[in-house]
Amino acid sequence: MYPIWEVPNLSAGIILAIISTFHMLPSHLSVSAMWFNIYVETKSYRENRPELLEFVKKYTLFLLIFAYVFGSLSGVGIWYAATATNPRGISALIHNYVWGWATEWVFFIIEVTGIFIYYYTLGKVNIKTHLKIGWIFAIASWITMIIITGILAFMLSPGKWVQTGNFFDGFFNQTYWSQLFLRTTVMFAIGAVYAIIAATRLKNEDVKRLVVKTASKWGAGGLILAVIAAFWYLNTIPENADLLRSIIVPKGLKTGVLISLFAMILYFLYAHIKPLSIRLVPAVLAIAVLFAGIWSAERTRELFRKPYVISQYMYSNQIIAADVKPKGVKSEADVINEKGILKVSPFVPEGLRNINKDNMLQAGKLIALIECSACHVLEQKGLRPLPQMVKRLGFTEAEAAEGFIDSLGAIPYMPPFHGTSAEKKALAAYIVSLNR
Amino acid sequence: MEIGTMIKALQDPMGIPFYPVLFQVLMVLTFALHIMFVNFVLGTSFLSVYGYIKGDDYWKRLSKSMIRATTANISMAILLGVAPLLFVQVVYDPFWYASNMISGAWVMAFILIMMLGYSMVYVFYLKRDSRGGGFAAFGIGALALFILAGIIMHVLGYQLLQPEKWFGWYISGNSIDTSGTALHTFHIPRFLHFMIPSFALTGVFLMLYAWYFKDRADSDKEYLQWVARMGAKMAFVFTAIQAGVGFWWLFSLPLEFKFFVNPFFLVGAGLGVSLLFFLNNAQKDPFKYAVPAVIGAFLTVFGMSYTREALRMTYLRRFDYSIFDYKLNIDLGSTALFLSTFVMGLIIAGYMLTIAYKSGKTTGEYVPSPSIDKWGKISIALLLAWIVVVVSLGVVTSVRNYL
Repeated sequence: MYPIWEVPNLSAGIILAIISTFHMLPSHLSVSAMWFNIYVETKSYRENRPELLEFVKKYTLFLLIFAYVFGSLSGVGIWYAATATNPRGISALIHNYVWGWATEWVFFIIEVTGIFIYYYTLGKVNIKTHLKIGWIFAIASWITMIIITGILAFMLSPGKWVQTGNFFDGFFNQTYWSQLFLRTTVMFAIGAVYAIIAATRLKNEDVKRLVVKTASKWGAGGLILAVIAAFWYLNTIPENADLLRSIIVPKGLKTGVLISLFAMILYFLYAHIKPLSIRLVPAVLAIAVLFAGIWSAERTRELFRKPYVISQYMYSNQIIAADVKPKGVKSEADVINEKGILKVSPFVPEGLRNINKDNMLQAGKLIALIECSACHVLEQKGLRPLPQMVKRLGFTEAEAAEGFIDSLGAIPYMPPFHGTSAEKKALAAYIVSLNR
Repeated sequence: MEIGTMIKALQDPMGIPFYPVLFQVLMVLTFALHIMFVNFVLGTSFLSVYGYIKGDDYWKRLSKSMIRATTANISMAILLGVAPLLFVQVVYDPFWYASNMISGAWVMAFILIMMLGYSMVYVFYLKRDSRGGGFAAFGIGALALFILAGIIMHVLGYQLLQPEKWFGWYISGNSIDTSGTALHTFHIPRFLHFMIPSFALTGVFLMLYAWYFKDRADSDKEYLQWVARMGAKMAFVFTAIQAGVGFWWLFSLPLEFKFFVNPFFLVGAGLGVSLLFFLNNAQKDPFKYAVPAVIGAFLTVFGMSYTREALRMTYLRRFDYSIFDYKLNIDLGSTALFLSTFVMGLIIAGYMLTIAYKSGKTTGEYVPSPSIDKWGKISIALLLAWIVVVVSLGVVTSVRNYL
């Protein structure tokens, strides 16, 4: 266990959620935008309509800034936030999938060099060459999705990896294909919303009409296919996740997805009928609506992965839950239960390693920090605050809290308590103290 | 808990999928490229702000070119920073994560600082000629933010080397500091050794810039001459200063390291001194020496990056840590996937860079030769072939496992 970073009243986990949901926008834009560009540029070339290139230039600059400033930095930000939230989780992913990420990075090289060259050579090289660079960028971008989807899907459903430890068994797991299809369809909707924003800045009305009409078709089409993909995806998720989906995912998230979806389809429909009436502000607002939908969907995905950060392997609180024999990895439950979490964790004050009457509450708080704070803040406000939960459960006696701690493993979204009985008593004492 | 034991306990039990030396070489190589672009960012943005404020014709022109280069340099620096960030987590995970967690707030601040700095660069680039003025503030602000980002990275990298101090930083008495708001340690010569090359390398960058545009029909020879001379001078003067700072750093290291006889140090320092002599010669004809200067500078940075890695190994040997003892779980499939993709990526990036290189030298519309055109077609074909191979592998795996 590494040192802990707490974000008071918010939790480090929420920071990670904000960054990763935000990253969805520029990353999916980056993957989809060039397909749209190629379409418009090819049209401009075939129909000899050079005025269409005004859009290509605007949209690409937008892509360059939004995706390659905020997108690439928020991508790195996810790693940093994952590190600061759950270092052992990100470490486990990296030690399994380092070559996956390194392979994705090769395509980042193609993307970054590609986007600058595409932007700066527009009008300076012959159009066939320019289109080739567009195609290279578009395909390479989509490949980054092929790769990262495998790692993301692995976290929810590691599949046969648990038995074989094999890279590809974990990568091409049961939720891989449906999630790839889902992300691919959603990316066209995201790309379309941005294309409409870029179109609002165009002077030529014919070009604006063409772009908005085409983008709205792509966007609506993407969303409709996404609905099909989402049903397929929900059909492939593991049993436990499916159970959690029905018991712990708040209704608000489901409603969020549905409202956002419905609003976006209406928006695309309206844009298609009245392409010239779309102004910058509503077009930007559409992003906020889309963001709300993505936020709800991503939070849902995070929630039904519980109690794990990597399903069937590591709990949200970074304790290794199961053996992975081919990798020579052992579950940590026995060692921790025998020796104690405060004994095996390195970053523990020496005065708290042995629990006594005087340090009981302090030790209990540290155990709560190590084992609970990934999902519950210890303050009154924030992400699932422990004090509020204790009040709701009405614990006033340590025995009652202890009984509850004992039963944690039976709750499908909670990891079991790990530690000695003295540590359990300390945690119970601390929990009860929150109710005073 | 004894520090060596603690570090072994922190190491990821999964092990690593290939021999550590490959990760080390890739980490050092990509770090060298990363830090070069970081230096370009700092140097080009500084020159741009300076030129913008100074305001005479040549400086104005250079300022515009430099800030445009900064936008691309930042993207390259981020891109090339991803790889060493990945590999350091593979072989130095206990150190990297512990250092990050102790300063968690700064780790996150780093991202915001970079986003803000990069945005300010774009404002300075796109709006600099608009009415109103005051845009220099954006350039200066961006530069200040980039230096702050450098300070954060420096501290994280330096905290990493001192596990003996981690407990003291994190624990006091029976309480722990989970705020992550402190940066605990700073080493001036080490930091300067990463900063000073910004000017030396940007000097080389200017030489290359002048060399590249000199053959274009519409180029202003006198302006380019001015740029090249200034570049060569900057490169030489700051390489000399860098050598001095290097020795300052060396003498500040614990004596028991005996780092002055470390073979990596000797090679790195040798490269640095040779570069200094070479740059002294280059003053005569900066155009002629531009390309070799870039190669020489890269070799020196690479040598120095390996020296830095050797120093890290020396620091951590005190705790009996060596990446060469890392548990192995060899995975040939994924290793082959990366290596073959890497070669393919170089072919494809090579095509695009050739187009950029050639079109930049042409005044009108550039039309590539048939052989370069073929290179482009091969690039697209390779990407499609990659998809076919990987998707087939995926389908076979899925069918075998789930049907």
